[in-house]
Amino acid sequence: MTDQPDRSALRNLQDKTAIVGVGTTEFGAIYRDLDPERSAYELGLIAFREALKDAGLKRTDVDGVIVSRLPHYGRMCEMIGLRHPRFANVLPGEGRQSGIALQYAALAVANGMADVVACIYGNNGRSAGAKYGGESRGISTQAMFEAPYGMTSPGAVTSMMFRRHQYRYGTTTEPLGHLAISNRANAALNPNAVMQRPITMDDYHGARYIAEPLCLLDYCLINDGGVCFIVTSAERARDLKHTPVLIHATSQASDITPVYVADDFWHEPMSQIADDLFANSEAQREDLAFAQLYDNFTPTMLFTLEGMGFCEPGEGGDWISPERIGLHGELPLNTGGGHTSESYMQGWALHVEAVRQLRQECGDRQVNDAQYGLYACAAPLATGHILKRDN
Amino acid sequence: MATESQAPELSYDKPLPPVLELTKPFWDGCREGILQIQFCNICDLPWFPPAEACPRCLQDDWEWRPISGHGTVWSWIRMWQKYFPGWSPDEYPYTVALIKLEEGPYMYSTLVEIEDQDVSCDLAVEVDFRKVNDEITLPVFRPART
Repeated sequence: MTDQPDRSALRNLQDKTAIVGVGTTEFGAIYRDLDPERSAYELGLIAFREALKDAGLKRTDVDGVIVSRLPHYGRMCEMIGLRHPRFANVLPGEGRQSGIALQYAALAVANGMADVVACIYGNNGRSAGAKYGGESRGISTQAMFEAPYGMTSPGAVTSMMFRRHQYRYGTTTEPLGHLAISNRANAALNPNAVMQRPITMDDYHGARYIAEPLCLLDYCLINDGGVCFIVTSAERARDLKHTPVLIHATSQASDITPVYVADDFWHEPMSQIADDLFANSEAQREDLAFAQLYDNFTPTMLFTLEGMGFCEPGEGGDWISPERIGLHGELPLNTGGGHTSESYMQGWALHVEAVRQLRQECGDRQVNDAQYGLYACAAPLATGHILKRDN
Repeated sequence: MATESQAPELSYDKPLPPVLELTKPFWDGCREGILQIQFCNICDLPWFPPAEACPRCLQDDWEWRPISGHGTVWSWIRMWQKYFPGWSPDEYPYTVALIKLEEGPYMYSTLVEIEDQDVSCDLAVEVDFRKVNDEITLPVFRPART
């Protein structure tokens, strides 16, 4: 056993690869148009087509594919006419995998296993009636030792963690309200967002509980959509249409327990990721133009801010203020509206928003001087990246 | 510890665990009013939920040992969303607690003999049992008396 792995080797990936094309389906329009025949692959296909167009690449330039939430890479490759991928696989359809998809694409490209990797995600959850809770069949731990008590859903475990945070630090739900309201205000400036009507603190406090202390407005949406991002080498990226968005620093850390929750609110993995990112970048916290923080539920953002050292453990509730997290604040959060208001694309659309902000394409919601931006996802398997606009 | 403290409900539609070869001793114990989990015979590590080997030694030299039944409420929620059939409308919101057992592992359960307004994280609790049917008796937790 080694005492401490040498994490400085993470720097080998710095600025070697770039996101050169991003694409999504419509989110708002299809939210209002349930279609039980809408397949996740169709949504992935639409997003792939958009991303190709965005990159100015041909279908035949793509030689690698990573899919997620789509059950199989084969069907996707078949639908995009990719018969001989040099690199292809499927990642589980859980949100923490979106950042991992980008990492795998960067690793593959940087190490010569593929030249152009398309990361494709499709989610027909709303049309298919996904509830994200209530599973009780089979021989999983959930079915055997949780469902008999009515314990179910990612929201409920997050609520458990937040209650504990309240107990330990005196945190109130007010900062969660600020996060939900800020997401919605950003979504109001995003024509593709599902939920665009602004909300107030009264709306937040009046929302019905789902798993108390969390309420409906703490929760991600359930909606259909597809997302794709395309990764190639930084060198090749510089010959393409857009200013490349470099994968500047990236890291993964974890805390895998049988009960999902972590006693330290994932401080250990998130602080490890922050150490990795800031040790391997010229950018520091104050240089970040925005942070796209995984927000399956609003407390996840609070845990991420504390874990990554934007404030001390327990101080997230005081740190979060509308002024600080708004589009022109110290650290604008989830500038496209996040999972609670733009679209529940399990981190995938957060990546797209990061790219568009760094390319200065975001119109009314564009943040100032976007050179570096953060994506982070706090979960049992956690990820973070600093993305950088190429000079 | 009384296993017959509450009569089984006539119609029980809440999810019930399948009893596997691996988990049968757990449920057999509950039926007898004994909470037991697996312990490694090599390194004495306890773990829950059940698994085929010690997560530290990776050996299958383990046994079920009764535990104290004591723990604390790590956290708890009130579930308002109707994810499952089986809870009648007047049971909402129902309480789910995550218990940190004295021996270390965590266990999801529910709380009995306490009103919600009196529940707090780190509350000391002890196990009790609720018979569901001839096969399944669920461990639940109440405020510690001892």
